[in-house]
Amino acid sequence: MLQFIIRRSVGAAATLILIGAATFFLFVAAPSDYASLACGKDCSPTRLEDIRHALGLDQPLAQQFWEFMSGIVAGRDFPQGDCPAPCLGRSFYFNENVWDLIVDRLPLTLSLTVGGIVCFLTVGIGAGMLAAYRRGTLVDKVATGTSMVLSSFQIYFLGPIALLVFVYSTGWMDDPKYVPFTQDPVGWLVGLSIPILVMSTIFTAQYTRMSRSSMIEQLQEEHVRTARAKGMSRKYVFFRYAWRGSLIPIVTVLGIDISALLGGGVVTELTFSLQGIGRLAVDAATNKDLPLTMGVMLVGAFFILLMNMLVDIAYAWIDPRVRLS
Amino acid sequence: MKSLNSRRARAILVAIAAGSLALTGCSENTGGSSGKDSKEDQKKAKEQSQGVAYLDAAASSGPAEEVPGAKSGGTVTVYQESALTHMDPGQIYVSDAGQFSNLVFRGLTNFQEDGKGNVAVVGDLATDSGKASNDNKTWTFTLKDDLKDQNGNPINSADVRHTIERLYAEFIFDGPTFLQSWLSGADYRKALPDGGFGDKHLPDSVLETPDDKTIVFHFDKPRPDLPMALAMPGYSIVPEETDTKEKYDQAPVATGPYKIAEFKAGKSLKLVKNENWDPKTDAVRHQYVDGWNFQFGVTESTQTKRLIADQGDSKNAIQFTGTVDATQIQDVIGDPEVKKRTIQGYAPYVMQLSFNMDRVKNKTVRDAITYAVNSKSLIAGEGGAYGGDVAPNLFAPTLPGYDATYDPYGRLKTPQGNIEKAKELLADVPAAEKKLVFAYANSEAGQKRKVAIEDALGKVGIDVVSKEVDSASYYEQIGKVNNPYDMYITGWGQDWPSPATVVTPVYDGELIGDGQSNYSHINDAKVQELINKAITQQPEEAAKTWDEAHKRILEEVNPAAPLWYVKQFQLYGSNIGGARYSTESSYMDITRVFLKS
Repeated sequence: MLQFIIRRSVGAAATLILIGAATFFLFVAAPSDYASLACGKDCSPTRLEDIRHALGLDQPLAQQFWEFMSGIVAGRDFPQGDCPAPCLGRSFYFNENVWDLIVDRLPLTLSLTVGGIVCFLTVGIGAGMLAAYRRGTLVDKVATGTSMVLSSFQIYFLGPIALLVFVYSTGWMDDPKYVPFTQDPVGWLVGLSIPILVMSTIFTAQYTRMSRSSMIEQLQEEHVRTARAKGMSRKYVFFRYAWRGSLIPIVTVLGIDISALLGGGVVTELTFSLQGIGRLAVDAATNKDLPLTMGVMLVGAFFILLMNMLVDIAYAWIDPRVRLS
Repeated sequence: MKSLNSRRARAILVAIAAGSLALTGCSENTGGSSGKDSKEDQKKAKEQSQGVAYLDAAASSGPAEEVPGAKSGGTVTVYQESALTHMDPGQIYVSDAGQFSNLVFRGLTNFQEDGKGNVAVVGDLATDSGKASNDNKTWTFTLKDDLKDQNGNPINSADVRHTIERLYAEFIFDGPTFLQSWLSGADYRKALPDGGFGDKHLPDSVLETPDDKTIVFHFDKPRPDLPMALAMPGYSIVPEETDTKEKYDQAPVATGPYKIAEFKAGKSLKLVKNENWDPKTDAVRHQYVDGWNFQFGVTESTQTKRLIADQGDSKNAIQFTGTVDATQIQDVIGDPEVKKRTIQGYAPYVMQLSFNMDRVKNKTVRDAITYAVNSKSLIAGEGGAYGGDVAPNLFAPTLPGYDATYDPYGRLKTPQGNIEKAKELLADVPAAEKKLVFAYANSEAGQKRKVAIEDALGKVGIDVVSKEVDSASYYEQIGKVNNPYDMYITGWGQDWPSPATVVTPVYDGELIGDGQSNYSHINDAKVQELINKAITQQPEEAAKTWDEAHKRILEEVNPAAPLWYVKQFQLYGSNIGGARYSTESSYMDITRVFLKS
């Protein structure tokens, strides 16, 4: 296991460097830069040069890239203040260390992710399993039908409706907001309940359908039928043998979903005016903010690589036939 | 002021402080139809086109006149889509930071409004709006007594000198450059490369501080606009002892009624009372509320929904520099209870279709297009009558010298375009000259404008080839001298109420260059001569010269077709008191807001 983790970590580091390089050089190849955007009115060549110099954009590209990447492990010293490792540069637009911005926004994104996972896994897998267990019955039809309808919705459609119903029209709830869990757990839950529930609604449908079909497939496997033939109860076989096997496709998709959510649930955050990693990514791209774009991209990529590794480890736990090699 | 561009896409870069002065509709909303509102705005604009008065010590002393019914206490919630990008006064040039600045910082002068449309300059930290020599080349300011920063340290003339000198340093690159250029020329940084942080300072022949309270500016040309320029937030005081250079942008020291309690870049800002601000020294600002909670990243659409709903925190909330979402205007004006919570007036911008005169050389084509464009359909895309008014000329209603009857292309009579006249002009124009490339921003507003332009010009036989441009870098792309476009929509507004801050940057042939605001590349000898003449004249004489220049530009050269005047329309919560449109900022007058309960 340790060898596996070390090997994957080295591969992940190399991948992150490649992603960083690709992001950097694609970004600087764009036809405009932040200095020109910031120059504003009466943008004389002298003023533009002043801005480029102040932002370090007058340095050779290779040097800019090297300073950015080396800063991740060694930290950097900017005129505006120190940037200790892991330093992801200093945002042009926000004039703040990128790492600090990400650390500030991550709890909100993490909260949405965790809250969402708890909701959509519990309800989604539960409904899917129930539908599979009661295959062909009214319960199955209701679960399948509902998930079909819900999966066709989008957050940017359900979100405004939820706000209209629960906030703007009735005043039953306040506008969604983030309160740190450590500061006020109830406030945390209440403040994020609408975004979490809306987001979960979409994901729940997907997991309901997936877990149902996966479970039905498992129930037709030879080892399950053998267990039943040996006289084991349906319920015992369902949970002891079939359930575990049905988790593999769910874990695969869950890993992708979690990494995407941690990388920034852009639509959710924009719909509910929340300030997480997703919003930060949009700000970075909109403002041609190279360090911030690099930082957000690398953090997103990190989560994807991490989740891939965890999914692989989970495979081995779920199915002992899988070996981490 | 700025082009309606944006250093940041989402935000309308509007006017800074000194901005919009004069003339707009500025009263509290009394309801009524959009047509009535618009006529009232026009009437007030006309009444106020007399310029700005410079007031004396009596008018400059505090406390500010009480706002009727005002109460103390509570915290105002501020909704804002784009984040503050700078808090160092020297770096402040855009509207949102300018509004923020009026709560936290003070300069030598400030604008004062009376709620009846009159705007004047008063002394802020200075005892009056300044004393000029006869030739307007020397200006003297004296500091008031008992001025302190948030730490309780006294503010003296050395702090003012430091404030001016630090603007020469390399790390200040985003703020206004008027004063520095006036004092030391266009290449001003070379006069004081270390920004006064070392031993070298500006000589007394330029900036003199003979004692703790006196500051004397010496210019080589008359600078009658100095009191207005000094009221810009970019010239607010940075106490010398507190200056941390680049780091100051994150934690500036307050001199105004509020100070920063917490700032999370791009996310939130909390202001609390500055106990060392003395209302007796301030003729403009109040300190009614205990604090301000800024929420950044709230879109204008969400701001409008929340404020229409008026639930919970939204009752105590205001739009800062945002405007009512164009798609929700009917929801606002259709409900009397909501509409009475609005303020409106002209912003200082004129939107125009700028011609790239390096490519569209035939004036007949430019004239024909000017006749053909449909202001009505363009304004419809901006929210209708609450988003803008038909512009008959290139001077905004907020500009001294504005003449609502000056309409050389008959725009007011034919706001939907004079198709017949345009066709007549184009009759003998070769087909090759009638194929024009139109650049538009790939934003929602840009898409609407593209459709309106294509539709109007298509009717007169212009073959419009539309080219999409990234909205974030739109002004950057069209601001390149060798851009590949024939025409594009641009906006501009004054930095302070003087045509000098409009005609010079936009129509001065000496200012053609990448990134400059002369988007049409107009380079007319006569216009040049008039500009050079006006900027050295006394205001009364200058007004006539600017008027002549305006007419020369629009009628004889025609580098841009006037399209519409931008209007501001903001909404606030039901517990907000003292809400009033500021003709100076073109937003809510932030200095007089209180909570009713």
